[in-house]
Amino acid sequence: MKNRLLKGLALAATMSFAAGLTLVPAQAASEIVIWADETRGPNLTKVFAKKSDWVPGSTIKVVSFSSYDALKDALDKASGTTGPDIFVAGNDWVPALAKSGKLAPVVLTAAQRAQFSPSQFFDLSYGGKLYGVPVDVNNVGMVYNTKLVKTAPKSYGDMVKFYLANKTKLGLKAGLCVAGGGMSWGGLSGFSALGAEPYQMNADGTVNFTKSFDATAFAKNVKTYLLDKNGKSNGFYPATDTGCQDNYLAGKVPFAIIGNWHWRTFAEAGFPMNIQPVPGVKAGTYGKMFGSVSGAFLTSYAEAHGVAVPAKSLLTNFFASTKGQVAYQAEEGRPPAEKGAQKSQLVLGGQKAMGAAASKSSIPQIGAFLNTNAGGANYWDSAPAYWTAVLVDGKDPLVEAKKLAAIWKANVAAGKADL
Amino acid sequence: MSSIFRGKFALILKIIILAVVTAILSLLAQSAVASGEIAIGIFLIISIFALNFTYFTKISIPLKFFVPGILFFIAFVIAPILFTVLMSTYNYQTGNYISKEAAIEQVLIRGVEPDANQTTFDLVSGKVANGSDAVLVSDIANQKFFLSTQDEITFLDAGQLTINEYGVAVTAPGFTELSADELAKSDAYTKVRYKYQDGYYIVIEGQGVGAVFRQALAYDEKSDTMKNLQTGEIYVDNNRGNYVLEGSPEEMLTPGWRAPVWFENYTKLVTDSRVRTPLIKVFIWTVVFASLTVLSTFAFGLLLALALNRKMRGRRIYRSILILPYAMPSIMSILIWGGMFNTEFGAINNLLNTDIAWFSSANFARAAVLLVNLWLGFPYFYLICSGSLQAIPSELQEAAAIDGANPRQVFRSITLPLLLQILSPLLIASFAFNFNNFNLIYLLTGGGPRNTLDGEIAGATDILISYTYQIAFGRNILDFGLASAISVLIFFIVASISFYGLRKSKVMETFG
Repeated sequence: MKNRLLKGLALAATMSFAAGLTLVPAQAASEIVIWADETRGPNLTKVFAKKSDWVPGSTIKVVSFSSYDALKDALDKASGTTGPDIFVAGNDWVPALAKSGKLAPVVLTAAQRAQFSPSQFFDLSYGGKLYGVPVDVNNVGMVYNTKLVKTAPKSYGDMVKFYLANKTKLGLKAGLCVAGGGMSWGGLSGFSALGAEPYQMNADGTVNFTKSFDATAFAKNVKTYLLDKNGKSNGFYPATDTGCQDNYLAGKVPFAIIGNWHWRTFAEAGFPMNIQPVPGVKAGTYGKMFGSVSGAFLTSYAEAHGVAVPAKSLLTNFFASTKGQVAYQAEEGRPPAEKGAQKSQLVLGGQKAMGAAASKSSIPQIGAFLNTNAGGANYWDSAPAYWTAVLVDGKDPLVEAKKLAAIWKANVAAGKADL
Repeated sequence: MSSIFRGKFALILKIIILAVVTAILSLLAQSAVASGEIAIGIFLIISIFALNFTYFTKISIPLKFFVPGILFFIAFVIAPILFTVLMSTYNYQTGNYISKEAAIEQVLIRGVEPDANQTTFDLVSGKVANGSDAVLVSDIANQKFFLSTQDEITFLDAGQLTINEYGVAVTAPGFTELSADELAKSDAYTKVRYKYQDGYYIVIEGQGVGAVFRQALAYDEKSDTMKNLQTGEIYVDNNRGNYVLEGSPEEMLTPGWRAPVWFENYTKLVTDSRVRTPLIKVFIWTVVFASLTVLSTFAFGLLLALALNRKMRGRRIYRSILILPYAMPSIMSILIWGGMFNTEFGAINNLLNTDIAWFSSANFARAAVLLVNLWLGFPYFYLICSGSLQAIPSELQEAAAIDGANPRQVFRSITLPLLLQILSPLLIASFAFNFNNFNLIYLLTGGGPRNTLDGEIAGATDILISYTYQIAFGRNILDFGLASAISVLIFFIVASISFYGLRKSKVMETFG
């Protein structure tokens, strides 16, 4: 029996040793691992397939996730052995990931910093430290269907007037809807055009910590433009983004807010690029959008993998460089963040129009204010909840606006410590 | 056939199977240990010995049947329960994920400050004659060049150097530059802090770039405190996973670490009204949801079973149709139902010619949840009721009929009590299953609607498990500690209900 046990164990040990030698996965020496979502990942793969020597002596591996949420989920669960060295995403995760020790600080030279707008670094910082480099401008724009609307709307009222006059005749399903970025991120313009924003910015680009939006004025605009005389939705602005893109493309919605990553979908469907911000209540004013940047972020795992310096070099040599951004945005199609790339002849008209819309009327996306639940709910949940309450449930717009203002004010006060 | 289990062939087959299993488990153990998951590694090694010992010896025949099951039970039932219980005693949330050692390391990495001008230099990495790591630094703006090691800084005359077209010194006497490959494949030189002036040092920030910093925070292991070297401020361990400024506990250093807070997450369930109020609401709905689901699915399933228990034309076809909802993957069914309840485009509103916002109103959403669960659950009870009805001896019903009982009396006094006796364990199991029916709630309503503007965390259709998920994963601030405490609570509730039900139904005695 003992002999049999020993023989069995010996054989098993031999097999396990052989398996151990051949099968243990390991990160290759000086391999920089990048994580990205389902659009950015494949595009980065294409770019690195064409040119891979951005960091001498290092190789680059891109891991693509099935969705933005899947990437977030993986980052939340990442550990020292499994995490990436760099990931590419929007900036709103910075506070939570930096607070949890998953990001590592980055230092840029003065010359490198000069290639970006200072507000872009604001979006990628936490506690006074910079954790990534700006890759592209992340914003929305409003397009209008030129087959239905002959002249660009100058005010919010112009759009509502057109909708109410043509609702039955053209069988319109809505007047303005959100086709990109969801009712919170994409829908900020819808709020701001009527006078509500989650935080107020001073003229010098700093945050006004004392002021919140005027709930009374906002509610008055909601009543004027979005409700009928019985206090019910007039159908101009739906409370959800369901079906918006399809209805716009089918000619059933004249105005749509779209994300800058899919302007090509609309252009290819035969719609000329009439991109502008959502017009405000007064002619010549515009609703503000999140003119944020996506970033390439350095993780604290790069240090553990022994590739911190090559990873930092990739950030500056590729992600933050003119050449790198032009090459990447040729695939990705968003407006580049770097000044040299913005001027490049290779950047397409749609990308430039989107960038122009953002520069006309935008606020930075400050995760410290938007992500906190200190006021009872974060911006992402409370913003769509307002439209559901008023446009679906028929609740009083002023009462709900006051609740919204109180939530956002408390979130700004709580988020101040995280800046 | 039995020869397969005996003789040399069986022995060789056994050795091969065990060798393969051992190899796979060894591989997993190796990977677990390399990832720092020591407990998992130890469990896998113990499993290897347990399996080999059991199957290569004649210690116990029954054990040969039980060992795999016991190991799986430990790995996938006992261990998760123990881990959940353990985590429920920790401050384990956004900002407090990592170990204390890792947090100290991160705090120190971040605890540096640049000089007033945020100076950066072009540099070349290499070694000096004595073999020390060194950087050849070019201060182009001031036309200064120096060689810096960990311990000394040597200013060089431009005449001694080779300077490239960008004004960067690339060679110096006694300095050997590292190749790009050497730089990329070794990170040792990047960890060195190269000497600079006035207490500042240079660190490598990418190939060819160095930045000037000084250490602003220092860790004192003896007193377990962090000290701000410039202001002298002391940060102490607040015993909740963060270093906080002495006298100002709200000012803390990040990141924090997972720290034991013992029963705080449990007391929060009772004392913190932001947690307690929604928890009570959710608990009540969970009990109502599970009870109504069991009642409705059982009643509808039984009704159909009774109807189809009689001979009728096309009975087989009806029976086949009735189990179709059970044959379809529930995830697909739930998503289809979700679309059918859509306010604008849904089939239900179109059929009824209404514009009900099913998922915006609490009562309509609850009705929708119960309706969909009835659809998903009745075929199960229809099947087991049909089977159980066959098992009730027809003599009992015939005898009652002879004694003058009408069909309703026969059902109430004979069929139903006997059915309930047979089906009690399944009813209890169904209740326990629906108590934790996460898929239905998550996919159909997401727990909503919730009155977000009034600060509600829990939605009208949230059950305990979906509420727990919401706390653990559904928000930007993830609180695994609190979610674990609620999970433990759910475990005890479900276990108690099941145990009580099983005792009442005397099923255990029957098994005994």
